[in-house]
Amino acid sequence: MNKPLLIFFMAVVSSAAFAQTLTDGLMMKKGNLCTGFMYTHDQWKNYWEGTLERDNGNIGKITTQSLVWAGNYGITDKLNVIAMVPYMKINASQGTLHHMEGLQDLSVGVKYYVLRKEIGEDNVFGVFAAINFSTPLSDYSPDFYPLSLGTHTTNIAYRATVHYKYGNWFANASAAYTWRSNTTLDRPAYDDGQDFYETDEVKMPNVFDAFVSLGFHNGPVQVQAQLTQMNTLGGGDILRQSMPFVSNKMNFTKVGALVMYYVPMVKNLAVRGSVDFTVAGRNVGKSTTLLAGVLYTFQFAKSQPE
Amino acid sequence: MKSIKYYGTSILTALFLVVTVISCDKDLTLTEQLGTLEPTSIDEDAETWASVNIDTYDVTQAKIYTAAETAVGPMPKVFDPATDIASVQNVGSASYQSELASIKDMQSKLTGEQKKAIEYWSGGGVLRWNQILRGLVARYNLPPAPKADGSYPAPDAENPFADPNFPFANPPYAARAYAYVTAAQYEALKAAWHYMYLYDRQSPYKNDSGVKSLMPETDLPSYPSYDAVMSGVTAEILKLLFPAALEEITRKAAEQRNAAIWSGRASTSDVAKGLALGKSVAALFTTRARGDRMGNSGGSKPQWQALADTAVSNGEIPWISLEAPKRPPMLPFFGLRKTGVSTGCKTWLMTDNDIVNNRPGPPPSTASEQMVEETKEVKYYTDNLTRERLAIVHKWADGVNTYTPPGHWNDIAAEYIRDSNFSEVRTARAFALLNMTLHDAGVACWDTKFFYFNPRPSQLNHAIKTGTGIPNFPAYTSGHSTFSGAAAEFLSYLFPEHSEYFNNQALEAAMSRLYGGIHYRSDSEVGLAHGKVIGGYAVAFASTDGAD
Repeated sequence: MNKPLLIFFMAVVSSAAFAQTLTDGLMMKKGNLCTGFMYTHDQWKNYWEGTLERDNGNIGKITTQSLVWAGNYGITDKLNVIAMVPYMKINASQGTLHHMEGLQDLSVGVKYYVLRKEIGEDNVFGVFAAINFSTPLSDYSPDFYPLSLGTHTTNIAYRATVHYKYGNWFANASAAYTWRSNTTLDRPAYDDGQDFYETDEVKMPNVFDAFVSLGFHNGPVQVQAQLTQMNTLGGGDILRQSMPFVSNKMNFTKVGALVMYYVPMVKNLAVRGSVDFTVAGRNVGKSTTLLAGVLYTFQFAKSQPE
Repeated sequence: MKSIKYYGTSILTALFLVVTVISCDKDLTLTEQLGTLEPTSIDEDAETWASVNIDTYDVTQAKIYTAAETAVGPMPKVFDPATDIASVQNVGSASYQSELASIKDMQSKLTGEQKKAIEYWSGGGVLRWNQILRGLVARYNLPPAPKADGSYPAPDAENPFADPNFPFANPPYAARAYAYVTAAQYEALKAAWHYMYLYDRQSPYKNDSGVKSLMPETDLPSYPSYDAVMSGVTAEILKLLFPAALEEITRKAAEQRNAAIWSGRASTSDVAKGLALGKSVAALFTTRARGDRMGNSGGSKPQWQALADTAVSNGEIPWISLEAPKRPPMLPFFGLRKTGVSTGCKTWLMTDNDIVNNRPGPPPSTASEQMVEETKEVKYYTDNLTRERLAIVHKWADGVNTYTPPGHWNDIAAEYIRDSNFSEVRTARAFALLNMTLHDAGVACWDTKFFYFNPRPSQLNHAIKTGTGIPNFPAYTSGHSTFSGAAAEFLSYLFPEHSEYFNNQALEAAMSRLYGGIHYRSDSEVGLAHGKVIGGYAVAFASTDGAD
C-alpha cells in the first residue's frame, strides 16, 4: 500500500473518532480521548425586543468571542464523557458600556449508546441518551445583559438523539429539556418584565431545544446542514427600550452548516468550521456565529475492531 | 458485559440524583416579608401631629376638615359632626345591625382567595402600598424609544397606554410620586384618627361577639375605616400618577376595603365614609400636583441650548447627551431655580430660598488640573472594574426599569419601619417625611446639575467604559449621593441605633457611581454632603411635629 493511500485509509477508518458533542450520533471508542479548542465569533446588530426587531445606537454591534476547550472520552464504546470549558469576552461597539470577560460555565455530560440497529448492509440506526450538567466557573454577573457571560445558573439537560446512517449519508435529530436553577443578582429587588420582586433571587424558566442535521462523509470531509431551535419555557419580554433581563423568554431559530476535515497528513487530527445564522428570535440578538476548531484524538487503549 | 451493567447502574444512580435535584422547587423567598402588623402603640393623639408648614405645602389640617365637613365644588361633604355623632354611635340601629349580619354571612363562607387578601393586608396597609408603588415605579421607569428620525416622543398623560407609556418614571418623577402618595396617606390617616376618635364607634367584632376578628385587634375606633381612607387616598393619587395602571390600582384598593370588612374590622358604613374621606384628602393633593410646576420641567429645545450656552460663556465644556441618538436632558427644569429661566418644581420641607442657599459651589472647572486628575481616577476605576466593585455598582445602579434611588431607600427603610411595629399613622409619617426629603433632594440636586451643566467622565474621556448605563443628565452633583445623603440623615434620626448602617449604605451608594465610571469623586462627595443638609430639614421638622 503506498503512503498516500494509507493515510487516506486511516482517515476514513478514524472518521468516527472526532465526535465530541452531545447532539451528534457518534461515539468515541473505549479509551480514546478527542480533545481540542474551538474559537467562536458571534456578532449581532439587530435584536428582538420581544418580537420587535430593532437596532440600538447605545450598543451598536455586540460581539461575543469565546475560546472553548472540549474533550470527549470513551469510557466504553457505548458510554462517553464530554466536557467543555469556555472563556468568553463580550463587547459593544458603540456606547459606553464596559466589556465583560471571563470563564463561563463548566459543562460535563455523559452520553450513552442506547440502541444500535443495522439495517441491511450499510445502514445503521442509533439511539443515544445524554445527561449534561453545567455550572458557573466564575463569579460573572448575570445582571448585565447583553454583555453578561451567561445566566449564572446550574443546569441539567436531558437529551435524546437519533441517528440514521445510509451509506455516506446521515441524518441526526436531537432534543433536550434543560432544567435551570434560579440565579442571583447583586441588587435587592427587580422587575422581570412581568412582575416586581423584592428579592435578589430570580426564578429561571427551563429551556427546550431541538437540533436537526443532514450530511454526508466523503473521504476526509464531513459536511452537514443544521437547524437549531431553542425555546425558553416562560419568562417575560424585554420591555420597551429596556435592557434584556436574565430570565427573559429567549427563543431562536438558527440555520447553518458545518464542515469537518480530517487532516490527511496527521493521523487523528481534524479541523472543523461552522457558520450559523439566527433567522428568527425573541429577546435575543440576530446573530451570525462562526466557529473554527482543532481536535486531536489520543488513543490510550488499543483500538478494537468494530 | 459486566462493565456495561456496571455503567448502566451508574447512569441510573446519576439519573436518580438529577431527578432529586430537579424536584427542588424554584419558589422565591421574598426578602421583605410582612408578617402581621401589631402596633406597639395606637397613637391616639396622631390628629395633633403637625403638618408641614411651608407656603408650598398647600395642605393644612383646616383645609382637610373643611373638605370633609363642607360640600366643596363637586366634592360632597363626608361628615356632619354636629348631627351625626349620636346616630353613628347607636350600634343597635337597624341599619348597623344589618351591616353586622352581612359581615357574619360573608365570614361564614370566606374563600381561600379572600383569606389570602386578609392575610396580605394584615401586613400593614402603608407598607403594602409602598411595595406596590415601588413596583409601579419600576415598571414605568422606561425611557421613550427613539423614532426613526432620531427624535424622542414625549410620554402623554392624556394617552398613557401609547408608546411611550405615561409616565416615564425616572428619578425626579419617581421621587415626586413617592412623596405625593406618602404625604397624602399621612394627612389622610391623621384626619382618619381625628374622626375616628370624634365618632368613637368600635369595630364590628367588638360590637357583636358573633363577628370574628380576623386581623390583629387594636383599640382603634373604626368609623371611618382607616383601611378605606388609605385605599381611597392612595388610589386617587396613583390614578393621577400612573393612569395606565388603573385596573391594578383600583383592584388593590377594593381588596384593601373588602379585607377590612371580611376581617370584621370595619362595617360597610365605616368603609364608605373612609373611602370618601380618603378621596377628599386626595383631591387637595391632586390639586397641588396639577399646579406644582412639574409640567414645566421638560423645557424646550431653545431652553436646552441656553443651558449649554451659559456653560460655554462661563468658560466650561457643556454637558452633552451620550446616548445615540442624542436625547434631550432628563427634566432639566425639575429643580432649577434661576431668575428668568426656571422656577422648578415645588418642594415639601425646604423653601425656594433654602434650595438656592444650600446649592453647592461649582464643580472643578473642566479646564482645571483637578478635573484632569478626577477624570484619571474615574479611568482607573473603570480599567480595574473588579467583581466586588461591579457588585456595588449593580446593587446601586437603580437605573432603567427599577424603582430608582428613592425607591431603593424606601426598600431599605421598609424593613426598619416594619420591625418597629409602628401604627399605620406613624408608619405613614415615617414614609411621608422620608419621601418629602427625597423629593427635595431630587429638586436640589437637579437645580445643581442644571445650574452648572457639566459633562460626564465619558464625555471628557471616551475611553472610560462604564459598569452601568450613564444617566442622561449632567454629572455634578450625583443624584444617588444626594438622595442617599438625605435618606440616611433622616433614617438616622428615626432609628438612631442603625445610624452607622444607613450612613455606610449612603457612602457605598455614592462611591458606586465613581466605581461604575459615571461620576467624578467631587460629584459623589459634594452630593452626599448636600444630601445630609437636605435630610436635616426633615429631621428638624420631625423633632418638632409632636409625634416623637
